[in-house]
Amino acid sequence: MAKPAFWQAAWAVAYKDLQIELRTRYALNAMALFAVTTAVMVSFRLGPLGLSRDPRSAATLAVLLWIAIFFAAMNGLSRTFVREEEAHTATLLRLNVPALAVYLGKLVVNLLILALLETLVTLLFIGLLNVTIAKVGLFLATLSLGGLALAGATTILATLVAKADGKGSLFTILAFPLVLPLLIIAVETTELALSGGTWASAGSGLQLLAAYTIAEHVAALWLFERVWEA
Amino acid sequence: MLATTFKWFTGIWLGLVAVAMFLWVPAHEGLGNVGRIVIMHVPTGWLTSVAFLFSAIYSWRYLRHGRARDDALALAAAELGLIFSVLATVTGAIFAKVVWGTYWNWDPRETAIAALMLIYAAYFALRTSIEDRQRQRYLGSIYALLAFVAVPFLIFVIPRVTDDTLHPNCAILNTPNCQGIELTENGRIIGTVEDFKVELLGIEQQADLTVATVSILSNGTNYTLKPSFNRASNKPETIERLPETLRDVQIKRLVGEPGNQTVEIAIANTGNIGLLTEQRTLLTFFASLFGFTLLFFWLWWLRADVLDINEQLVQQGITI
Repeated sequence: MAKPAFWQAAWAVAYKDLQIELRTRYALNAMALFAVTTAVMVSFRLGPLGLSRDPRSAATLAVLLWIAIFFAAMNGLSRTFVREEEAHTATLLRLNVPALAVYLGKLVVNLLILALLETLVTLLFIGLLNVTIAKVGLFLATLSLGGLALAGATTILATLVAKADGKGSLFTILAFPLVLPLLIIAVETTELALSGGTWASAGSGLQLLAAYTIAEHVAALWLFERVWEA
Repeated sequence: MLATTFKWFTGIWLGLVAVAMFLWVPAHEGLGNVGRIVIMHVPTGWLTSVAFLFSAIYSWRYLRHGRARDDALALAAAELGLIFSVLATVTGAIFAKVVWGTYWNWDPRETAIAALMLIYAAYFALRTSIEDRQRQRYLGSIYALLAFVAVPFLIFVIPRVTDDTLHPNCAILNTPNCQGIELTENGRIIGTVEDFKVELLGIEQQADLTVATVSILSNGTNYTLKPSFNRASNKPETIERLPETLRDVQIKRLVGEPGNQTVEIAIANTGNIGLLTEQRTLLTFFASLFGFTLLFFWLWWLRADVLDINEQLVQQGITI
């Protein structure tokens, strides 16, 4: 499997998708607008300082942050696979590139998109809602692990949805029960990071998040070929 | 012939269970008449998880061997799982309303069953959105397996959401937390001892005595009791009888300074401990579990057969 041709193919898929995405910016625009709408709406009613005065603000902000990330991600992450089906390029890709290389290529693109999205959401929240992050390291670790887990669970679902005629709302319905454990822990550790919890207190949460990430990626690698060839 | 016998047997068995549940089983000492619901609630809840397991197993078999029968069994199990989860949720909600005062409160087990229902709903949403039958089976099976990977994490995650459950565990098994509960003046003031909801209303100091005012929900009625603890002798002083039961409420232990004291409230068992330690209830419970399991397997195979026949008709160009 570790033949250079394989990695080249995976990279070519990722590179192609990134180029198309940068040309059309379809997914990026949809996600960014969702994130902006959420942050603006909350800030507009509660005021930039409204939430930070609330004693429960860390919990509320953590929930809002992950609502913005999750639903924005649902707007854009299925795009790369849906596009292949819509443009009828999926067959060509299936014939020329090993399934696993396609998966890895698309995973890299989704990870990059998610990283951009998380950066944007965090900056918006800092700017519009006056969020102060007490433990930056813990916050970054949560966002990175959360992003990895979200990409692991949703990349294969995006393939599934693309095969089911790319119905947009279906993606969110399918993803929600799968990522529920991830969202619960991510909100919990984000709250700890915002309110200045220790690494030790967040340790078991991060471990669970890592285990979940690994399990979802393994399941996705195992099942991807079957979805892709379906 | 065998199938007909099986059907009648299951029907009569469950009918007898229903009669026994109301007429033969005595009312639970702590929970009262509402305690009878355990006979229906636990087996349906249990079968919800069993159905989910079968659905995943047959989805995997379908992916391996590609036999339509395996997928029919997986789909039928998921459909039954949804029905049983609704039954378990409704019976649980009735119980919760009577005993805890709310239909829903994100108790760990409620969270788990809500997640299972979401998975089932997503599974059906996926299947109905695909027209090609082959692809429907294929993608449905894959989703069932992906969801199956996520569920164990949910089981680890759920206790983090809330560490205390109001679920009447002591009705089934007598575990250590059935003995007493620690409540703190300015901290956790509500919890359960056995199947009683206990709320700490306040703590007063009277010379050597510390008097706790507690509200205990028993049999759908709130009773306010004032057990006390002697700090000089470090022993419980006043022991209060919970009305209409054989239970004695006492402060077993006292920790901390006035203003931030923790009391351990115990409800001593003078009678039966658990619901299922009562013999008739236990027998009816197992009869119910057996009956519902029979019902499950009968419905499961019946539904899979119907799906099979439907598939054959579709292949012959007949739609119904």
